[in-house]
Amino acid sequence: MDNELKNHYDVIIIGGGITGAGTARDCAMRGLSVLLVERYDFTNGATGRNHGLLHSGARYAVTDQESASECIKENMTLRKIARHCVDETDGLFITLPEDDLNYQATFVEACHKAGIRADIIDPEEAKILEPAVNPTLTGAVRVPDASIDPFRLTIANVVDARLHGAQMLTYHEVTSLIINQGRVEGVKLRDNHTGEEKEAHASLVINAAGIWGTLIAKMAGVTVNMFPAKGALLIFGHRVNNMVINRCRKPANADILVPDDTVCVIGTTSDRVPIEECDHMPVTDEEVEVLISEGEKLAPSLATTRILRAYAGVRPLVASDNDPSGRSISRGIVCLDHETRDGLAGFITITGGKMMTYRMMAEVATDLACKKLNIDKHCETATTPLPGSEEKKSEETLKTYSFAQKAADGRHGTYTKEIKEDDIVDDALVCECEEVSVGEVKYAVDNLHVHNLLNLRRRTRVGMGTCQGELCSCRAANLLCQSESADKEAADLARFVDERWKGMKPVAWGDTLNEAQLTATIYEDLLGLDKVASKEGGME
Amino acid sequence: MKFNTIIIGGGLAGLTAGLALLKAGQKVALVSDGQSALHFASDSFDLLGYDAQGQAVTNPLEAIAGLDATHPYSKVADVAGTAAQAQQLLAEAGVKTTGEAKANHYRLTPIGVVKPTWLTVDDFVTLDKPDTTPWKKVVVANIIGYLDFPTKFIVAGLRKLGVEVALKGFTTPELTEARKSPSEMRATNISHVLTDPAVIADVARQLSEISAGFDAVLLPAVISMKDDANAKLLKQQVKTPLYYVATLPPSIPGVRTQTLLRNRFIAQGGIFLTGDQATGGKIEGDTLKSITTAKLTDAELEADNFVLATGSFMAHGLMANYEKVYEPIMDLDVDYTGAHKDWSEYGVFNAQPYMQFGVATDAQLHVKKGGKVIKNCYAAGAILSGNNRVKMADGAGVDMLTALQAVKNILKK
Repeated sequence: MDNELKNHYDVIIIGGGITGAGTARDCAMRGLSVLLVERYDFTNGATGRNHGLLHSGARYAVTDQESASECIKENMTLRKIARHCVDETDGLFITLPEDDLNYQATFVEACHKAGIRADIIDPEEAKILEPAVNPTLTGAVRVPDASIDPFRLTIANVVDARLHGAQMLTYHEVTSLIINQGRVEGVKLRDNHTGEEKEAHASLVINAAGIWGTLIAKMAGVTVNMFPAKGALLIFGHRVNNMVINRCRKPANADILVPDDTVCVIGTTSDRVPIEECDHMPVTDEEVEVLISEGEKLAPSLATTRILRAYAGVRPLVASDNDPSGRSISRGIVCLDHETRDGLAGFITITGGKMMTYRMMAEVATDLACKKLNIDKHCETATTPLPGSEEKKSEETLKTYSFAQKAADGRHGTYTKEIKEDDIVDDALVCECEEVSVGEVKYAVDNLHVHNLLNLRRRTRVGMGTCQGELCSCRAANLLCQSESADKEAADLARFVDERWKGMKPVAWGDTLNEAQLTATIYEDLLGLDKVASKEGGME
Repeated sequence: MKFNTIIIGGGLAGLTAGLALLKAGQKVALVSDGQSALHFASDSFDLLGYDAQGQAVTNPLEAIAGLDATHPYSKVADVAGTAAQAQQLLAEAGVKTTGEAKANHYRLTPIGVVKPTWLTVDDFVTLDKPDTTPWKKVVVANIIGYLDFPTKFIVAGLRKLGVEVALKGFTTPELTEARKSPSEMRATNISHVLTDPAVIADVARQLSEISAGFDAVLLPAVISMKDDANAKLLKQQVKTPLYYVATLPPSIPGVRTQTLLRNRFIAQGGIFLTGDQATGGKIEGDTLKSITTAKLTDAELEADNFVLATGSFMAHGLMANYEKVYEPIMDLDVDYTGAHKDWSEYGVFNAQPYMQFGVATDAQLHVKKGGKVIKNCYAAGAILSGNNRVKMADGAGVDMLTALQAVKNILKK
């Protein structure tokens, strides 16, 4: 991939989350020359640390009509343009005996006002539709919630932006902004792999760094007051529910259970955290306890389901007051033109919003960018399918797929045909849980900005299954091995095993503890990985 | 059904105890669910690889004398003698090894790391010193498409030892056929293909070709699951000295050891109840009278003595839930501390507290329940508390030596 910087870009986008990737796509589709820079990996922040929920907007209908309307609009759009990332599950908002059933009417009315389909159904029907639901429910409303894969969605945007000429640099951190006479003219960068310093110049810099955008703004000498709200989630070992299950009450802790691929996710909590803690956020015992006890109320069988891991993300909310919970703040989109707001030209911040309203955020930011650059091109991202979603595959096409391609189909959509099987080993399985083949690993390495095992996991799901990377991480490390000494790869493997453990540690009892001991037996006792890999934490 | 001794657990500890009891003329039954940590084993048996500070041990016998009183070895009366007995017992079952308790040698791990060890199965790579090999140039040969042998790591590890290394791939029509099912390329499956003398001859011919002019050829351990006959046959036919290297699990040397010990146990007259699980025990006063199993629903298995060798968490000999750590068959006393957040630590390679958890025993390895000693039930192996086997590399030694000590304690009565 092209790492050579051009002399000048129309826009530099800071941040490799879904907002940055979506903005890069929109800008590139409108003919702008684009450079996206990301200090670590794509999806490293809140994009990769949420429910994976394609909100219908129902959750916000009562408290935040603006967000609710944005959600339902984008919900319908993403079903069309990102078909291969969406699992059209629908969702239920259930009322439990301890909840006020009168809230249901308020809720449904608010949904309808925001344009969200919301059908009251009989609790008995709800139990048939979703056998995992708490059988003591007293009410149920069916809404068009769905499940969406944010990793896949981000990469589809990255791939399309690149197809339209955008350049992407992961592991490139902005160290300062180049400001000249009240105008931002570019960024100073550090290559986080080599330490090399670089400069990139552009007419506009778009700050799409999520919660870290507050720090980018600070570099520019302007203030964007963010409200870092930590949300913790738990992943369960299998897909307990087939529909999204929510509580029909004012949004609270741990009241959404989302089926994602082969697992399900309960979340979230909401607690204000200092910005300095946003890079490392272990999930606390108290959070685990709340998630388990509230989760069981949605689907009682969670009590006996293995918990795979715990993780936490930070919502990039824009602070407006001192709300201690952070829940009454709008999830709405915030696009700041720092020229009119702060007298600093060439700088735009796009923030707030939600993972699933990323496209709308990108559109707003790109509209402003085009206006400033005097470019008269309309946004086409709402109608142009993302790579991987262009066409529905026919039965005939599927028949020609190899075993590995079939497994990869859900992950890469129409791009699956790019996965090779000409080498006799390409079909060999690296990861049995997620059915990732050697060919898919090679495809990801060649095309999807994969430098290490963590990147590979996010692109292919290697190591995401129930075994949490027992053997596949070592197999994959060997495939990624480039250097003569293998020291770098050993350190990468150790970091990967440690990162997996970080998510298991807060829930280390039952089968998760058993699995942890097995992993230690393999990686320490049998392999001796602890003897070669340095213990330094690494950059993620 | 009444036995002299019933053993619960068919791993290294349980089988060792069983063989020693049969040797003493006892009537023995062993209950096993068929799973064993041996499936994740290396090609070696460790006695003590590292001391409490993490320093590599050169003389395990000396270092064991300096261990804490909580370590299971403190309950083994004669470590040197018992270690010799263990090696002898392995040899009698057909697990031929080299090594000695008073001086560790070194094994080569599947990612090319050198670790101190006590006994290594014959025909596997052994090194006298941790930083040098007997060879100038070697070939690492792997079956094309076999992913459980991280060749690039092994090559890098060997190069660090100053060896010139070439990496070569090979296959046969039979192995290529096996590869058509993507999950078939696992060591145990490959070993089924490598039972045909014609295929072995083909592999030998190819290995001879690609290793011509080299001092040694190193091959992943994907042959000879039941005994070492095919591994020997292949070695004899290859012109260059051939050595095996352990792979990612499933472990062929581990499965082979389990198979040979089990076969010996059955051949010596032991009753092997496989695919079954102990579900409970009837304790009267200070005595375990009988146990129940999942399959023998209408019968109780009675014995004068019992050996509990069901392993640690990964073998389900110990279990943990949100509230506590417990022993699932008889709810025996367990040595553990704190709430679940205290059982483990961040930093995957830090010493994890849960590794040392295990059933509480007295100096004679008797288990306890409600603080009271059960005088005819002994624990052996990974279910014991007091050692961190991944940090100290003492797993196989603790398995075999505590099993043999439990047997001595039984026979002494």
